[in-house]
Amino acid sequence: MTSPSTASAPSATRAGRGVRAVAARGTARRPRAGRRAAPYLFVLPALLLFAAFKLYPIGRSFVISLHKTVGGSDRFVGADNYARLLHDPLFWTALKNTAVILAVQVPVMLALATGLAVALDSTALRARAVFRLGFFLPMVTGLVAYGIVFSVLLNKDYGLVNWLTGLVGLDPSPWLTDPLWAKVSLGLALTWHYTGYNAVILLARLQSVPAELYDAAAVDGAGPWHAFRHVTLPGLRPALLLTTVLSTIGTLQIFDEPYVLTGGGPDNATLTIGVYVYQNAFKYFDFGYASAIAYALAVLIGILGVIQFRFLGEKS
Amino acid sequence: MLRTVGAIAAGAGSLGALTACSGTGGEAAGGQAGAAGEKDKGRITVWSWQGPAAEMKALVPEFNKKYPGIEVTVEDIGNPAIWDKITTGLAAGGQGLADVLHIGVDYLPGYVEKFPGGLADLAPLGADTYRDAFAQGMWQTVSPDGKRVNALPWEANSAGFYYRADLFEKAGVDAGALQTWEETIEAGKEIKAKTGAHLLGIDKPASQADAANFFQMLLQLQGAFYFDLGGNITLDSPESVKAMTLIKTMNDAGLVSDLAGGWNALMSSLKQGTAAVLPMPTWFGGIIEEQVPQEAGKWKVRLPPAVRRGGSTAATVNSTHLAVAGGSKHRAAAWSFIEFVLTRPASQVRIYRGKGIAPALMRAYEDAVFHEPSAFFGGQKKGEVFLEALKAPSPAFNYTADYARALKLVTDAQSKVLLSGADPAKVLKEAADQLGRQTGRKVSR
Repeated sequence: MTSPSTASAPSATRAGRGVRAVAARGTARRPRAGRRAAPYLFVLPALLLFAAFKLYPIGRSFVISLHKTVGGSDRFVGADNYARLLHDPLFWTALKNTAVILAVQVPVMLALATGLAVALDSTALRARAVFRLGFFLPMVTGLVAYGIVFSVLLNKDYGLVNWLTGLVGLDPSPWLTDPLWAKVSLGLALTWHYTGYNAVILLARLQSVPAELYDAAAVDGAGPWHAFRHVTLPGLRPALLLTTVLSTIGTLQIFDEPYVLTGGGPDNATLTIGVYVYQNAFKYFDFGYASAIAYALAVLIGILGVIQFRFLGEKS
Repeated sequence: MLRTVGAIAAGAGSLGALTACSGTGGEAAGGQAGAAGEKDKGRITVWSWQGPAAEMKALVPEFNKKYPGIEVTVEDIGNPAIWDKITTGLAAGGQGLADVLHIGVDYLPGYVEKFPGGLADLAPLGADTYRDAFAQGMWQTVSPDGKRVNALPWEANSAGFYYRADLFEKAGVDAGALQTWEETIEAGKEIKAKTGAHLLGIDKPASQADAANFFQMLLQLQGAFYFDLGGNITLDSPESVKAMTLIKTMNDAGLVSDLAGGWNALMSSLKQGTAAVLPMPTWFGGIIEEQVPQEAGKWKVRLPPAVRRGGSTAATVNSTHLAVAGGSKHRAAAWSFIEFVLTRPASQVRIYRGKGIAPALMRAYEDAVFHEPSAFFGGQKKGEVFLEALKAPSPAFNYTADYARALKLVTDAQSKVLLSGADPAKVLKEAADQLGRQTGRKVSR
């Protein structure tokens, strides 16, 4: 243990020199206050935009959620819109559908993405860049464009998918018109769209896992599976947390795919909260109720986010 | 803690998009504030869709002969895209709306009720003088209180029964003699057995809102609707149950082809001859001629059979209208255009020739074009068939501002019946109760 005097002396000198240096530079160029303000000036435009296009709408939306439009004017109704939520079977249907997608599609997709990331990281693979691009490409496809392509592919009578399954003797599946199949189709479309994106995030993290760990594992006699379990997965944890949280948020807000593919049908089998918000706002002109649903969703996302950070985050 | 805040903030992000478009549209669209502009000068934009847009565009040169000072741009926004676009514009207090808006009867009451001032009152511009010019019931639709005029009627579509005469002949059924839908179902069984064609098609999973068109037609043939004139819910009335039961009977007998996918599926079914009957309104005749020109002579048209023996075969199933945006700076010029298109028989005759779009303007029917035999429809006088329906007594239907909600519940109920054989009375009762809870309207039983 070093004595306080020996330990503090050099640091004091360092600090002293630092202060002098800053002071010298400061007086030479411009006053200290200006230097302090500079970074804030730089972030100001972004802050203003954030306030105008994010903060204001978020606040305003809360105000709207407490109102109801009657005869063209807003009437304050307190928590009525929120109370309505509790007794609205369609809201619960939407919530259930969204939860099913979250519980089934997200784990499948992330498992796929992890496998894909490991494969794309493998040095045994030739032309890796081409494959990476190929898997990432769906992400940049316009949501509506790919929705329409999928709805054509999955058409019961004229779709390519049923034509292909027909070749091996299967009956045509009602991809978009049967409540269960419609959910499956939605999951397929989502997986196609987002797996590559998540794989790229995981891949980036994978490349920062030190090679020595694998060497050490190999020396300890670990096969590929053990190396994956004990080196790759722990290494991926932060990226897995990120992709899980992003996918959860994304899935809870999911709108485009069901809107274009199924319109929320048949019989609300693919109605998601996002679609329900849209219907209430733009089909039924019920902006107050739509805002209340959106707020319920926001709270839900917040809660799920916290839970996920608790479970996956702390051990990192 | 920071993480917690971050997660909640991420959730809150989902709220932003909505608010940007919400609001009541009360103040800015207040409508009559400011000058209406000049009657013969200005630059106006018109929003419509496909066929009607093309027809209005074609009318512009003629319009400019009378009003050289008005520059008209007709935009084909597409249907159903136009409804979202108008809603967004109205919700934004009239920002970015066109001057002239083409609006269906299914949206008009909602726009008027939820966005007061969003549409200009046409009465001060002179619309009142045309009160009696249109088919019956039309004025009540555009001017419910008899004072304010929200729009001017364009199309008045009557329920029609377009059928493949060749298929009926092959099956040995006389289509002209069918009196009721029950008889038609029996005929459908013959047709299915002898030709393999279905009787008709329905978008069973309701991929588009208009999947309920046929149900609605059966309802309107009985003079019934989703709401009564007082605005009470009549979704599970005996008429309604009867209509849904007819659909279920047809479906259970294997007579209904699936038009999942909406318009595209309907078009391919038309081209492939999947169904013997297209129970569609007036304007659809033009579509058939356009899509299957090689089938000229094979098609015929009549008014639909009655739901109950001796019941009505005439119903005005929908209509469309031209309105002026309340926030428009060129309301007078916009009115000049509407007046030119909708109240001048020559304009309407030309549109009918072009796309078979039936006018609500009664004087237009004096033209010979409505009384000519049609080569496509086997020499029938198609125009007279629908004119007969237009002249028949037909009750006004109250769409209310909650029509979209009602329609959604109806299509869900219909999907339950068609896809999983649910009981019509039960699903309609559930739908009516739910609509009551959602809208606070009384269910009339």
